[in-house]
Amino acid sequence: MELGFLDRPHGAGGVRVTGAALVDELGYSLGCDRMHPTGAPVLTAPPGDAPASFLTEAFRGQDDHALKFLHGTTTLAFVFQGGVVVAVDSRASMGQYIGSGSVRKIIEINPYLLGTMAGGAADCSFWERDLGRRCRLYELRNKERISVAAASKLLANTVYGYKGMGLSMGTMITGWDKTGPNLFYVDNDGTRLKGHKFSVGSGSTYAYGVLDQGYHWDLTVEDALELGRRSIFHATHRDAASGGFINVYHVKEDGWVNISHEDSGMTKYYEYKAQSAAVDSTAMES
Amino acid sequence: MVREGRMFLTRSEYDRGVNTFSPEGRLFQVEYAIEAIKLGSTAIGIKTEQGVVLAVEKRLTSPLLEPRSVEKLVVIDSQIGCAMSGLTADARTLIDHARVETQSHRFTYDEPMQIDSCAQAICDLALQFGEDGKEEDAMSRPFGVALLIAGIDVGGKPSLIHTDPSGTYVKWDAKAIGAGSEGAQTALQEAFSKTLTLQEAEVLALRTLKQVMEEKLNKTNVEIGAALVETGEFRVYSSEELEACIERL
Amino acid sequence: MDPLLRPGHNAPHLPAAMGPGYADVFDRLSRQGGRVETTGTNALPTFDAHAGAKQASFQPYQNNGGSVVAVAGKDFCVVASDTRFGLGFAVPTRMISRNLVLNDKVVLATAGMQADTCTLHKVLRIRLDMYRQNHGKDMSLGAVSQLLSNTLYYKRFFPYYTFNVLGGVDENGEGFCYGYDAIGSHEKVKVVCTGSSQSLIQPVLDNQVDGKQMYDGQPVAELSLEQTVELVKDCFSSAGERDIYTVGLDGRGQPPLYVKILKLAFVLTSHPLRSKYTRSHFIQGQSPAVRDSQTTTDTYFT
Repeated sequence: MELGFLDRPHGAGGVRVTGAALVDELGYSLGCDRMHPTGAPVLTAPPGDAPASFLTEAFRGQDDHALKFLHGTTTLAFVFQGGVVVAVDSRASMGQYIGSGSVRKIIEINPYLLGTMAGGAADCSFWERDLGRRCRLYELRNKERISVAAASKLLANTVYGYKGMGLSMGTMITGWDKTGPNLFYVDNDGTRLKGHKFSVGSGSTYAYGVLDQGYHWDLTVEDALELGRRSIFHATHRDAASGGFINVYHVKEDGWVNISHEDSGMTKYYEYKAQSAAVDSTAMES
Repeated sequence: MVREGRMFLTRSEYDRGVNTFSPEGRLFQVEYAIEAIKLGSTAIGIKTEQGVVLAVEKRLTSPLLEPRSVEKLVVIDSQIGCAMSGLTADARTLIDHARVETQSHRFTYDEPMQIDSCAQAICDLALQFGEDGKEEDAMSRPFGVALLIAGIDVGGKPSLIHTDPSGTYVKWDAKAIGAGSEGAQTALQEAFSKTLTLQEAEVLALRTLKQVMEEKLNKTNVEIGAALVETGEFRVYSSEELEACIERL
Repeated sequence: MDPLLRPGHNAPHLPAAMGPGYADVFDRLSRQGGRVETTGTNALPTFDAHAGAKQASFQPYQNNGGSVVAVAGKDFCVVASDTRFGLGFAVPTRMISRNLVLNDKVVLATAGMQADTCTLHKVLRIRLDMYRQNHGKDMSLGAVSQLLSNTLYYKRFFPYYTFNVLGGVDENGEGFCYGYDAIGSHEKVKVVCTGSSQSLIQPVLDNQVDGKQMYDGQPVAELSLEQTVELVKDCFSSAGERDIYTVGLDGRGQPPLYVKILKLAFVLTSHPLRSKYTRSHFIQGQSPAVRDSQTTTDTYFT
């Protein structure tokens, strides 16, 4: 359906999002779900010739009011003999404010593909939702599921198209296809890496520390899930921008399973403390 | 005789452009497109309280033809499917458009599209023919294909909708399109009742096809599928399921 | 035809951000002379005579403050917002509406920049009307929540300066709300606050409604509609005492003077009798100014 008229509130001569715009009309350009005939979303361009710095410019000298988006995170995923383990925290912060402690950072793209969320929450969830739509179209058109490699490439190509415009996304796309379990890292620069073990987000260095020392290809499913959980826990313990709940998913041959959703605060702390001295107990007891 | 003669004359004058009405108020190219469907293989849809059955004839013109590559029953979205008759190449454009629209609807509203709205979306494109060719998917002539759209709305309401090249869509309890449609529609009208079970509808659809098909009906030259209220999904039957249906005939 | 919509390939069509039209904006601004800057927390552009550089920046945003709250119960949802319009330290008006009744089951409340709020509300009103015409039914709460998210994200690179909460009753009659950031990241919750007093009100609601940070392990009793409304009123009156961009109730429960207005906008309920009860409940203490400017029967003030 033609929705273009929404962008031209002043009638035929009104402003268009991409055309030469008058300064006093800029505020009237409306974004709505204008789709390209292929179904691809079309985003409104910012005024000015430097889209990436538009927001910083718009709020120059007024930090108090600068727009902050939801951010944050520790996420990880690794491939092992039993499939893929995906574990994440659930905290999203806007500057110093914790915008939410219950974000679902594992995005269920479809019953056999998962994506994780690190960086801008809206960027990740919007483009991974879009990816879900395109994977479904692929499936309807080709009568078979898209491969993880192809799906991650679709996403990487999409965000690469917006390179330099300020998107913030560090995601892992994982699933099980004809070739077996697969894991790809994709970020807003357009980087796309195939790998066996990734951690993304502000707490990733902490998570890697635990993950690397406990990881083996031959881990049992139970041990692998626990390794993921423990890695996230230690990251939430040391990284102020991570916290909330620990969500764990397991990707198997017949699709993913939501394994657990646990409070990473007190409960987990005392459980691990009882098990090992690795956790700095003085911090909590003082 | 004179009247018929004039008719012929008018036709030859007014039937070349899609954007010119004849003095009698007819768009001949659209009417011819509707005629094209009568050359197509027969397709039948029957609505019951348990779901909507679609059955189609596949014309296998040569024993060397791979039957599975002839596809006349397709899934649009999980809750919607359709059968086609006429120029099936044209149907591909319409169906891909419908798939994009249903997925866009899910993307925008996080809910499945209604069957009505899907038919509307298909007919929007079907109507966009013309000679300027400005629109992306639009063609310079009408689409020469009719569709039977079967689906289940949220809440479990089954729908059977017929669309034609004029961009009209109408709901039916039971409908036949294609070469055998006249005979089949009469047969359906006699046999249809609102209390049909899904199984009875499967049998009625195949029996009606069998009556109008030139070849002997078998598991390679028909396809059958159904949108089920129970699951809310449209599914094309496997060849085993089709065989089971044929055995019940 | 819009260049964005031009056919050709499958890649998403990027906004023509580098287009020649935009450079013009900056030229024109700089020709006005002087550097455009902001003073204090006021986002209105002013000219700084001391700045030597002939450089201009386009500042399309201002923060008009305000806070919005939504609290959902078993079969209702309370959506509330204050009415102060702030501009730096000035208060040009104390009576603006931040609410939009989308249909009889869904209400939106928006804090942030008033101009963007108006535009966003206009877009959504049009979208809901179009949906009603195209699909022959009202949009459900879930559908609106996704549409709002997408609508915000389509302005990802030139965002609406708005902080939304969406509240309502879903198809099963259960109350839910959704909280948003400026570009459409959203979450389905039972209680949410956005806007200038977000960090003051949200922790209290988490504790009182969600029972968070309660270590005795006792689950909190579900609040009744009346209790919820009282709690929300308390939140606004408390926040109003500590946040210059939010107006609160008089803490002693006095009838509000022109300053102390809490607009408890819409009490949605799947129970018609309750709706009636709450109306009479809130009608007391209504300020005359409010009654004149707002005629919506679903709007309540205290």
